[in-house]
This record gives sequence, C-alpha cells and structure tokens, in this order.
Amino acid sequence: MTLIRLTAALLASALLLGGCARGPEEKPGELEVLQAVGEQISRRRKPAPPAATLTRALLDQQPQNYIEVAIENRDAKAYLTRVLERRDSHPGTIEVWRTQDNVSLAFRQGMVIATRGLGGGLLSAEVPAAEGVGGPARGGARRYTLRADGNGQRVVNMACRLHDLGPETVEIVEITRSVRHLQEYCEGAGGVVVNDYWVDSRPGRALVWQSRQWAGAETGYVRIRHLQR
Amino acid sequence: MTPIKTLVRRTVPAMLLCLAAAPGPAQPPQAAPETGPGSAAAAPRLKPLPPPSLNFYGSPGLIDLPSAEMLPDGQYAVTYSWFAGISRYNMTFQALPWLSASFRYNGIQDLNLFGFSTYYDRGFDVRARLWRERGWLPEVTLGLQDFAGTGIYAAEYLVATKRFEAAALGWGRGPGRLKLTGGFGWGRLGSNGGIATTGGTRPGFVGGDTGGELATDQWFRGTVSPFAGFEWQPDERWSFKAEYSTDAYVTETRDSDVFEHKSAANFGVEYQRSERLRLGAYYLYGSEFGLTAQIQLNPKHPPTPMAVPAPHPVVPRSHWATEQAHWGRDWAASESRQRQIRDQAAEALKADGLVLEAITLEGTRAELRYRNPRYRSAGQAAGRAARALAQTLPPSVETFRLVPVHRGTGLAAVEIRRSDLEALEFSPDAPDALFAATGVSEAGPLPPEALFSAELYPAFATSVSPYTRPAYFDPDQPFRIDAGLDFAASYAPAPGWRIAGAIRQRLGGNVKNGRASNSVLPHVRTDQVEYAQFGTTLENLYVSRLWKPGRNLYARASAGLFESMYGGVSGEVLWKPVNSRLGLGVDLNYVVQRDFDQRFSFRDYRVLTGHASAYYELDRGYQLQVDAGRYLAGDYGGTFSLNREFDNGFLVGAFFTLTNVSAEDFGEGSFDKGFRFRIPVDWLLGKPSRSGFGLTIRPTQRDGGQKVVVPDRLYAPVRAAHRRSLEEQRARFWE
Repeated sequence: MTLIRLTAALLASALLLGGCARGPEEKPGELEVLQAVGEQISRRRKPAPPAATLTRALLDQQPQNYIEVAIENRDAKAYLTRVLERRDSHPGTIEVWRTQDNVSLAFRQGMVIATRGLGGGLLSAEVPAAEGVGGPARGGARRYTLRADGNGQRVVNMACRLHDLGPETVEIVEITRSVRHLQEYCEGAGGVVVNDYWVDSRPGRALVWQSRQWAGAETGYVRIRHLQR
Repeated sequence: MTPIKTLVRRTVPAMLLCLAAAPGPAQPPQAAPETGPGSAAAAPRLKPLPPPSLNFYGSPGLIDLPSAEMLPDGQYAVTYSWFAGISRYNMTFQALPWLSASFRYNGIQDLNLFGFSTYYDRGFDVRARLWRERGWLPEVTLGLQDFAGTGIYAAEYLVATKRFEAAALGWGRGPGRLKLTGGFGWGRLGSNGGIATTGGTRPGFVGGDTGGELATDQWFRGTVSPFAGFEWQPDERWSFKAEYSTDAYVTETRDSDVFEHKSAANFGVEYQRSERLRLGAYYLYGSEFGLTAQIQLNPKHPPTPMAVPAPHPVVPRSHWATEQAHWGRDWAASESRQRQIRDQAAEALKADGLVLEAITLEGTRAELRYRNPRYRSAGQAAGRAARALAQTLPPSVETFRLVPVHRGTGLAAVEIRRSDLEALEFSPDAPDALFAATGVSEAGPLPPEALFSAELYPAFATSVSPYTRPAYFDPDQPFRIDAGLDFAASYAPAPGWRIAGAIRQRLGGNVKNGRASNSVLPHVRTDQVEYAQFGTTLENLYVSRLWKPGRNLYARASAGLFESMYGGVSGEVLWKPVNSRLGLGVDLNYVVQRDFDQRFSFRDYRVLTGHASAYYELDRGYQLQVDAGRYLAGDYGGTFSLNREFDNGFLVGAFFTLTNVSAEDFGEGSFDKGFRFRIPVDWLLGKPSRSGFGLTIRPTQRDGGQKVVVPDRLYAPVRAAHRRSLEEQRARFWE
C-alpha cells in the first residue's frame, strides 16, 4: 500500500516538475522516462483529429507537390514534400521527400533507397537504376543495408527477377493514368520480397506514379503514390 | 533454410499471377497479401524465432529439469517460479552463444531448518553447450547448478535435447515441434532413481555456513540418475511438458515437511502471452500445483526501435555555390564574418541537440569542438555535427575536424572530407564507405585561435528528478527500497571546471528498518541502515576539473563530498590512445567517512584508497577491467570485472574482488562479488538520450573489497568517443 502511495506521489510530483531540468547538462534518466509516460498519457487523451478527405480540388490548392506514403504494418499514412533532388556518381536521380514531423524517404528513379526517422530503418540500398527508366531497369542483385541488432547494421542480399506485367491504368485521386506494371520478385536472406511499380507509360516519361516496396524488416512494405497533376 | 516444397509452393502462385495479369484497371490500393510472396510474413526477418521456454530454475528446460537448449546470444531472462511454498526468482544471461549464467534468489516457506522458518538463499548456475544439434546428433549441454555458496540446490548434469517437427493442432502456421530431452544428474538431480555412483560419496548439504566458495569437492560426485522429459509445441504459443524428475527433495520432504513427494512425474502447460512474456501452470510430484512467469528480452531488440528525427540531407555545394566568387577564402580574414559563421553553425547544431563549444575556422579547414548531451552514439553525434557544418560553412572549407568534448576536454578527432559527405550520402554502402574515408585521431590541444561560444561559460544547470535506492537480500525482507526526489545543480565557470551538488529528499521507503551491521571490519559500507535514518540529506557537493595533460592522457582532480558515505580529495590519470583497445589508469583518493546525517560533518574514519587499472576492449562488446590497489577498509587486493556492453548502451556485467581479508573476517559470502546492469533510457523509449538506469547487485553487501564512488570518472566517456566505439556506431552516422 505504501509502495503504491509512494509511486503515485513520485509520479505526481515528477509530472508537476516535468521539464525541471535546465542548462547545458544531460537530463536525469528518471525524468526522461516520466516525461515520456506523461506524453503518452496526454496523447491517449487527445487523439489526433481525423485527416481531411483527399480530393483533387484540395490538392490543386496546394503550392507544392505531395507524395502519399502508407506503411502497411502500422496503418500509418503521411504526405511528404520534396526537399532535395540531386545526382551522384551512381546512375539515376535521387529525390528526398520529407514529412512535417521529420520522417524522410529517399528514392533513386522511384525506388526507395533510404528511410530516416522511422526507427529500424533502411540505411542504404543498391538498386537496379538506369537513366531515364522509372523503377527497376533490370533484374539481378539488390542489396539492402538495414538497421539491426541495436545500433548495428545488417546487409540483406537478394536476387531479383523483373517481370513486365504489361499496361494497366491506375487512378490516383480522380485522375486515371496509363501505366506499365513492373514487378520485382526477389529472394534471399531466408525470405521473399515482391516490389510493384506502376510507371508512366508515355514515351520519355519515367515517373513511378505508384508503387508498393519493401523498406526493411522493421518498416515492412510501404505504398507510395504521386499526387501531382 | 526454406524447404524446397515450400519454395515451390511460394513460387508457383507468383508465376501464375504473372501469367494471369492482363491489361486493365488494377485495383490499388489492394489489400496486402497475408501470406505468400509479397506479404510481410514472407519477407526476410531480422528478429530471431521465439526462444526456448524456461524451467523452474530460469534456464532453458522442462519443468524442474533442464534441457540442452541455449537462449539466443545476449538474451536476458527473468523468471519467477512457485510451488509448495518454494519460490525462486531467477535471472539468466546468455553471455556467449554457448555459455549462460544464472543468479537465483529463493525462499522456502516452512522449512524450519538452520534457524529460519522461511529459508532464503542465493545461488549461481553456469551452463555450457558442448555441441550443437546437427544431423542425428542432439544438442548437449553441461550444467553446474548452485555451484558456489551454500548450495541448497547444488546439482550437476549432462543433458541432451533433440528437436523434431511434430503434429500441429492446425491453428498455427508452421509445423508443431517436439523436443525430447534426456540426461544424467548428480547432487539434487541424482537424489532419486540412482543407477551408479561416481567419485565416491558426495559431501552433504550444510545449511547456514558463510558460503561463497566453489564447491569443487562435490562436483559430479555421488549417485547419478538418468532423467528424461519432452516438450510438445503444437503451435507458436502453446506447449505441453512432461518429465521424470530425479530430484527427491530430500531436505524439503524428509528433513522437513514442506510438501509430500508422491511421484516423480511432473506435467505442465505453458502459453506465450506476448513476445516477451510466457506463463505456465504445472502439477508437480503428484501433490502440488505450480506456476511460472517467464520474461525474456534481448538487448539487441529494443521494445521500440530507435527513431531519431530525420536529418536534413546534405546539399552538395555544386547546387548552391555556382559561381567562382562563392569559393573564395577571403571570409576567413574577417573576424565579424567568422563570428557570424560560428553563430550559424551553433544554431544548426542546436537544432540537432548538440552544443557548439568552440570552432576554429581556416580557409579550407574547420575544427569544431562540440558537446553532445543528446545522443548515446558518438557516431550519430558526429554525423549530425558534420551535417550542420556542411549546411553552414562557406564552400571553401573542405576538411571538417570534429572533436567531441566532455567537460571541456577534447576526446578524439574525427576528420571527414566535405566532398565525401556530399558524394556518399546515398551510395549503396553509405555507412561503411564513409567510415573507410574517415580519420580518427587524438584530439590534440585546443587551437589558440579557436572561437568559443559566446553563451556557454559560465553555465548553470539545475534539475529535479526522482530517485530510488534499493537494498537487497535481508533475510527478514529480501527487497527494500527508498524513493524520493533529487534536487541537483551544477555550475561550470570555465571549460573543464565544474561545481556540482545534489540535495536528496526521501519521500518514503523502508531501508531504515534493515539489519544492523555485524561486520568485524571497519564499517565502510555496512552501515547503510544508519545512513537511511535521515530523510533530507546532501547527496554530494564537489568541485572537479578535467583536463588533458598530454598526448593520449586524460586527468581529473576532485574535492568535496563525493557520495552519501564519503568525501575527500581524489585524483585520476588515464592513458588511452584513440585507436587502441587498451587503456591504463591510476586513481588515488584520500577520503573521510561522512556522518550518518549526510550533511557537512564527518566520522572518525579516514583512509587512503586507490587503484591501478587496466581496461581492455574485447570483441562482441566485452570490456575487461582489472584493478589492483587498496580498498576502503584498508585491505589490499584486486578486482576483476567483465562487462558486455551492447552497441545500444545496454550493459550486463559481473565482478569479484579478492583482498587480504580472510573469508571469516569478511563474513557471509567470503569475498565481494556481484553483477551489474545498465538499461539505457533510449533503449526503453526509442528516442535519443544518454541516460540510463544502472543497477549493481551484490548477493551480500559487506565491508571487504569496497571502493569509493567518485563522480566524473574518466574511462567511460573517453572510450565511448574512441575508434572502436565509433566503428561499432558507424551505421548511425547517416541517421
């Protein structure tokens, strides 16, 4: 009984004092844990407001382009804006997209090569990219470097076959696009990964309008759609 | 290995899918497949499969019997088991893939022997796998149970386990599993159904001696009995167990009357409640009902994976420094421009939780000295610091020298070329590639032209935080705890200097009701109860200075009240080259014991204590430390400690100290020993933090082999910034 009263008193006083660490020193661990518990409780109390329904009219009002990223295993969905477009010594254009709450995804020719801010993410990846080709340009080796074993990394090597599943159409927020459906079937590291890409089928365009890609053991599959007009 | 049949089963539908696909509107977003190719379940897994279940002694096994299985490397298990008033709290750590160690605290109600009605005891087990399961060969393990100390549970065994695929009950995905176990037991495990005798008569169990010595004279001696049992797992969650136990419970059933041993057959059922928790119910020895709760966790698999806010990508200079004029070095000559750059860099660092201490700007080089109060990983802090510089420094600066600073002292220098940073961020092997191009060297002295942060010194910091102080293994009450609030403040007048203090207010607890000391040595640690009589105390108040006296050398001098029991003066020197696994240190302290009220007065006990220490970093995160010197009670001797620190900061370790105090004078336990843990806050919460919960547990707290605890010891922060630690943390650099 005393123990329960004591814990309650401790918790109450610490929550009251929450943020009671000032100055350029490390915060005491007990304080950090109590604050995290407090945040957790207030989050439970105030669930996030439901997201607005996505319509083309709403998108047209936005000053910049968005991609929608959904993570299957945690039922999470977010809208990302592009923060960087660049090239390096490897083939393909790199794009970095970022949410407002500091999660980012990097793509090379539409293929996920890094996730940041998700926890247990994809550190880097070798993808079969080629200039002017949206999505994978060929089958063969693919390499994922994943966060694993605490702060370490684990390399997952996979062998992939590329299937062209032919022309299809996809509808993205009231606009129907003509696309080619490419599918990568990868095996290795005791598992199978299937990545799907729906790539713009107009000549000279390499945009991956929509995709479902594996982004590592912890993040699992992510679905990505380009919402631009 | 995936069986061929499964592969075929998995591949064929996928190929059919390819053939069946035809032009037409696809239906995205379609539901994700739950099994088969493309499902999360089929993708590669990094987490290991569910670990083996545990027995009543906290080791992998059946019910009261062990099996030959080992837990996954690094696994840490806590179990509670109970039957017939016999409760056991077990902690098991899988120290190496083939070696595990357990500590147990047990209580036997109504034993009414050795002068106790409820008999409490502690014991250690160790298990080593002799060979793995392969082909038709079973896994074989050798175990010593309760091998030191008073040995109420003393037993030795050689056990074999073979796993088979077995009938599933249909609701699980994979096949069921059957594990058959058989072995030979000595001691307790040879007390029923013996078939032979090895090595003559075994000395009997004597309750109430001081314990603490290895019971080598009884290992594998006396009657040997064969035991056997099985575990059937019809699916991932349930298992059914049965065994033929060779423990006759002689002490409990013949010498005393704890329960009635009617049968040697035990039965049980277990359920995996969650990834970490398993519960079991049993029927034992034909008369008793039993329960277990098993918690297993692995330091490598935190409850929440660490998520750090995504960094801003490095924007190559070619994107924004497009004209020749942008690349000039004239800015370096202007002091106001330099100050402006320093403030911009400080701002960028602050956004990532880092503190700019000083910066030296030259035309093509920059040396940043920074403090890292946020990230445990030195690699991650260096990565964020490099990004902040790439974001703010003029294009002509090509070399970044990053120097993490602890209390004003530079710990190491990480040298990175800015063009590597730009080129490698999205390369396929970004973490390895960058580490290969990074130089790690001695921090060196602070350059005279360094620009200090304008807002750092003098610095004042305060905090109010809860604390707990436990006390263990009093026979009247095995666990006591005090809790309350700490009011701490520190003041740093200049780099390296620190004045700090903490006032402790207890809010409640029962440590003060503990046992009084019966030690024949000076009471250097056993007066804990006397100290616990006071609720408002000055926990510490000291001044310390850290500096670098020379190459590879670090030094500290402190004076004041260091901890609740001691105050005085203390000095320490550490030699630790950045790229070496070896560190050597010396510390010397002249301390006076504080009064029980823990204010400004002292007791009449003063001692010169100090040690020479050698530190060595082994593989797999093992750290070895050997100290030799004089301890608080004036005894001379050495301490051997081995810690395993995982790269996320989780630490498990053990130590023992042998000094010239005789086992008799030392008292219960014969010599000082114990184990320690640290659970990092970031491991628990999944967000960056440098603090952790440390815990040192000794089976008995006595006065021999004790050290004074002085704040700001040098080795841990220095090691964390050096090459091996950076290499282990390289995967975090880009995060």
